[in-house]
Amino acid sequence: MSEFLNIQNLKASVGGNQILKGINLQVKPGEIHAIMGPNGSGKSTLSSVLAGREEYEVEEGEVTFVGKDLLDLEPEERSHEGLFLAFQYPVEIPGVSNLNFLKAAINAKRAHDGLDDISAKDFMLLVKEKQALVELKQSLANRSVNEGFSGGEKKRNEIFQMAMLEPRLGILDETDSGLDIDALKIVANGVNKLKSEDNAFIVITHYQRLLDYIVPDFVHVLYNGKIVKSGDKHLALELEKKGYDWIIEEVESAK
Amino acid sequence: MSDKQEFLKQFDHIPAVYPVQGNARAAIHGELDFPTIRDEDWKYTRVSGLVKKTYQTDEVGMSINVPGSERSNQVVYINGIHQHQHQSGSLPSGIFHVSMKEATGDDKDWLTKHIGQYIDKSCHAFCALNTGYFQDGAALTVAPNSVVKDPVEVTNFTSGNERAVNVRHFVEAGTNSKATVILNQESIDAKNQFVNVVTEVMLHEGANLTIYVLQNEKSESALIHSMHIKQASNSTCTVFTVTKSGDLVRNNLRFDVEGEGCESNMFGIYFTDQKQHIDNHTYVDHQKPHCNSNELYKGVMTDQSTGVFNGKIMVRRDAQQINAFQSNQNVLLSDKATINTKPELEIYADDVKCSHGCTIGQLDEEAMFYLRSRGLDKNQAAKLLLQAFAGDVLEKMEDDQLRDEIASFIHQKFEHLS
Repeated sequence: MSEFLNIQNLKASVGGNQILKGINLQVKPGEIHAIMGPNGSGKSTLSSVLAGREEYEVEEGEVTFVGKDLLDLEPEERSHEGLFLAFQYPVEIPGVSNLNFLKAAINAKRAHDGLDDISAKDFMLLVKEKQALVELKQSLANRSVNEGFSGGEKKRNEIFQMAMLEPRLGILDETDSGLDIDALKIVANGVNKLKSEDNAFIVITHYQRLLDYIVPDFVHVLYNGKIVKSGDKHLALELEKKGYDWIIEEVESAK
Repeated sequence: MSDKQEFLKQFDHIPAVYPVQGNARAAIHGELDFPTIRDEDWKYTRVSGLVKKTYQTDEVGMSINVPGSERSNQVVYINGIHQHQHQSGSLPSGIFHVSMKEATGDDKDWLTKHIGQYIDKSCHAFCALNTGYFQDGAALTVAPNSVVKDPVEVTNFTSGNERAVNVRHFVEAGTNSKATVILNQESIDAKNQFVNVVTEVMLHEGANLTIYVLQNEKSESALIHSMHIKQASNSTCTVFTVTKSGDLVRNNLRFDVEGEGCESNMFGIYFTDQKQHIDNHTYVDHQKPHCNSNELYKGVMTDQSTGVFNGKIMVRRDAQQINAFQSNQNVLLSDKATINTKPELEIYADDVKCSHGCTIGQLDEEAMFYLRSRGLDKNQAAKLLLQAFAGDVLEKMEDDQLRDEIASFIHQKFEHLS
């Protein structure tokens, strides 16, 4: 089972600047990992590289996901294998219906799994069930993708899509940023309900606040492109109290 | 003998049936020349080669299979000649059709009075060529106060090799009438054809007419469609121009808004691929006050194809309180595709609201990645975005069947996007 997600010595750059400088991380099914760190430490780069954003260049290292060489797959193939990235800044796509798009996404995955298209009835039942999970208004689900949504609605729509696609690995990229406490609870509640023995989550966040609601099994601190400290949920609480400076000092003095 | 005289000689055997045809022949045999790329209006669309070729201009037996239509109320022409045998039932009440060629008695008097009255007298030589040498075409009239719910379609199928066809249509919308007309130009197996269509449209007071111009020419054929619309007071005219395909297409759409309180709408969608070239020139001439015009043209160009858009809005001195809006938006899908777009405003009145804008872009990369990260492949993602792009024009179409048909065409068109 160690082959669920295995990141080995991952180094990546964007525009010639090396951002990730050797990441090692293993995630097993049933686990929730939190990745924390100061601004500019490489948190979002890590999620972008895992999801397959083209502007990021992988210079070194390996990532295997469910036995596949993840870095060799197109973004859509990663999705078919069960990877889902909840965007920090979800894109507004005017004219593309949220539901038509989700149906196409579900059918693309089903085609990959050798299944027929989902029936209209099953699809609507699924929509209804998952909508309730994130308390997303019916009217939002029917609209164009994220068009005119508030910040909180966009994030809820991300979790709604995640619930619809039932990924094996969900990566939440600063999903808590810009959320008020009520929206935060709804998003966290959605994740907790989706959590099972067969899937895993990587929660990327700047603040400890989200981790009050999504309780991680592991907390990693990313600094200057490397994981410099790992621990359990108590590490997050310590960071909340003491900030990042003491870790940075530890790292710098060890050099 | 000059190239032009040589070219015109091919048409001289065609009988002139309407008096206006003689005048047009004299004009084109005289000083009126075919445009070249040195003419500003034809700068991006080279047509000089068209009028140097030899064409088949005889009316030959046309026993071809006409594809079935899902639409009812279809009048069929093949290579510009009316075909009784393909007529599907009678037209709905309130709208009448007669072929230009077959018109006799009162019908002929009616047409004699109207033909050539609405095209701009300074129109290019292709209009004169059409007027001088057209053999047939559809004349439709909507009776005053009639509301015709179902669209009536005139389809001109093209078939055969190297034919030159001049087709002439006329639509008259009676006082306070309402109707929808589809003018469909469709190739069955035409190759290297030159299809020159002129459509004159007259809207009487309070008339509301919607015209769908559908174009699907292929295989090295050239299509020039010049449509001139005259609007009397309080009339509404909406023209959709959907160019599905065409190796060389030039559309000239002109509105002469001669009455107050009119609305003129022009909407267009064009798709070009391979080496196709599609040119839309529009011109709305606001002559009287209190009128609105709305224009939205959207184009998608791929491979090494070219799109051209030129939209002119003229607001004359007496035309106060005009709202005129124009927008042209384009997506280029390949490095070698081209779009030339030019808005032109000429305003002599001081109390008007006019706007224009054009955009040229590619598919939004951020949106593409978002869709792909959810499992859609590049092709599916691009298709969704392009459908959304065309959707702004589609949603203006009131006829559900046509809208669905065009939406599914777009779907197919982008099925094999790379």
